[in-house]
Amino acid sequence: MPKVRVVFFASLKESIGQSEYIADLTLPLSIGELKQQLANEIDKGQVLLAKGIQSSIDFEFARDTDIVPDSVNEVAFFPPVTGG
Amino acid sequence: MILVQEEDFNVGALYQSLLKANQTGAVAMFVGLVRQFSDLPKEVCSFELEHYPGMTERNLQVIVDEANARWPLLDVCVVHRVGFLSVDDQIVFVGVSASHRAEAFQACDFIMDYLKSRAAFWKKESEGSESRWVEANTNDEKSLERWSK
Repeated sequence: MPKVRVVFFASLKESIGQSEYIADLTLPLSIGELKQQLANEIDKGQVLLAKGIQSSIDFEFARDTDIVPDSVNEVAFFPPVTGG
Repeated sequence: MILVQEEDFNVGALYQSLLKANQTGAVAMFVGLVRQFSDLPKEVCSFELEHYPGMTERNLQVIVDEANARWPLLDVCVVHRVGFLSVDDQIVFVGVSASHRAEAFQACDFIMDYLKSRAAFWKKESEGSESRWVEANTNDEKSLERWSK
C-alpha cells in the first residue's frame, strides 16, 4: 500500500498532538473516507470528523467527496482559515 | 509580487513598487494590523500567525490571478506576515495599481475578501499564559457572495 504524508495545522495539530502522520492508504479514496480511516487509527483522530474541518490535496483545497489520487504527495487537514 | 514573510514591511516602498510610469492613474492599498484583543496590557499579549508553506503562496497566487482576470490592473502586491506579532504590528498589505480608481478599489477589496477565506493562514491570540485559536468569522464567507459572477 502506498504511504502518504498527512499534515495537520493550527488547532487540529494541537488536538491531535502531532503535525504529520504517514498513512498506509489504498488509493484512490475520497477525503471523507481518509478522514474516517485516520479517525480510527490515530490517537485523538476523532477531531478530524468535527464539522468544518477543511482539507487539501497537494496544496489545493479539497472537499470530502474529492478523490485522493495515486499520484498524491501530501494531504492536509486544518480548521477554517483566519488570515488577513 | 506575493510575499509571505516574518519581517515587517514598508508601505512606502511597496507603494513605489506599484507605480508604472505614464500609466498609473490610481493605487488602492489596504493594511491590516493587530488590534488590541484583550483587557490585559498589550505587553503581555502576543499574536501568532501560522501558515502552510507551499499552499499559502499558491492560494494567494490563485486570488491575484482571478483579480487580474476580472479587472484591467497594472500591478498587484500582496505581503502577509507570519510568526509572532504584537498589538499594533502590521499583518497584511494588499496594493493594486490601475489606470482608474474603480478597478483599483474593487480589486483590492476582492483580494482581501478572498484572502480572509481562501488562503491558508491561522491566527492564535495569547493573553498572559492563556491562548486561543481565532475562529473563522461567518461574515467573511458571506462577503464572498457579492463577488459571484
